[in-house]
Amino acid sequence: MDVNFRKIDIDVYDEDILHETELYDSDPRDPSQVLSDARQKQVAVRTALARSDIVGALSSILDSPPYGPGVDEAKDLTLQTLLTILNTTKAAEIPGVVKALSQDEQDTLMKYLYKGMAMPGWGDISGSVLLGWHEKLTEIAGTGCIVRVMTDRRLV
Amino acid sequence: MSNVLRPYLAAVRSTLTAALTLENFSSQVVERHNKPEIEAGGSREVLLNPLVISRNENERVLIEPSVNSIRLSIKIKQADEIERILCHKFTRFMMQRAESFIVLRRKPVQGYDISFLITNTHSETMLKHKIVDFIIQFMEEVDKEISEMKLSLNARARIVAESYLTAFNA
Repeated sequence: MDVNFRKIDIDVYDEDILHETELYDSDPRDPSQVLSDARQKQVAVRTALARSDIVGALSSILDSPPYGPGVDEAKDLTLQTLLTILNTTKAAEIPGVVKALSQDEQDTLMKYLYKGMAMPGWGDISGSVLLGWHEKLTEIAGTGCIVRVMTDRRLV
Repeated sequence: MSNVLRPYLAAVRSTLTAALTLENFSSQVVERHNKPEIEAGGSREVLLNPLVISRNENERVLIEPSVNSIRLSIKIKQADEIERILCHKFTRFMMQRAESFIVLRRKPVQGYDISFLITNTHSETMLKHKIVDFIIQFMEEVDKEISEMKLSLNARARIVAESYLTAFNA
């Protein structure tokens, strides 16, 4: 007797099945606009960094980051811009900068730190810089910040 | 603890503490079953975002949280061929005795050297901060253990070679 029918995953045909898109609200902006926003932010960050205004640079890049599928280029651009900020900041300045950010910005920063650590060797990622930021951010924002990164489906 | 390793272990500690919020959760598919959801992987809503903590390409930790279980996988530093062999033997030795370590998984996750599976039963019967301490201590010890084994292996090889070659010296 043919028993292969037992291996068919019948849950796929369930009408009540949960889809990836139902887990979070998708970005209202369309992909091309997200990319142009990311480019604008890169310029804004450069001018802020030239004035050595690190808090301003960070809060502009962490505001409405690209998430969801189809915006890989904007995501890469944002991560790269963020890394330049992280790498240029002195270790002694980090606590003051982190304290000046709002809770949402701290959560987004934590998301990017984990994203950076997940791809070592990409671009100018340095593990020790990211770990230094992670330590300071955890001290100030607490483990709740990490829990929010784990539970937020809007992957940056 | 060495100063270079400290931020890495601190990051693992805080992430693991954050991830270890587990509750009893029965299977949504089969009645009266209770499986670690991270292993079953049957439904998306109970799995959380996996997090990676890395020092460099060769040393990283993967933490995969879910509603009733977390899986933590470690990639141990392996600088050369000898360390690779020693690490393989060492982790194999422990994974064959996984039941004595309770939270150890019998097979590592792909791309990592050793994995732990912590379920809600473990976090209920054991103290949460002690589990975290155990993992951190393991990570500290394993590097030390492997470099010690490498040193003693080299010393032994030197003595063997010397005593062998004295036969040709006479």
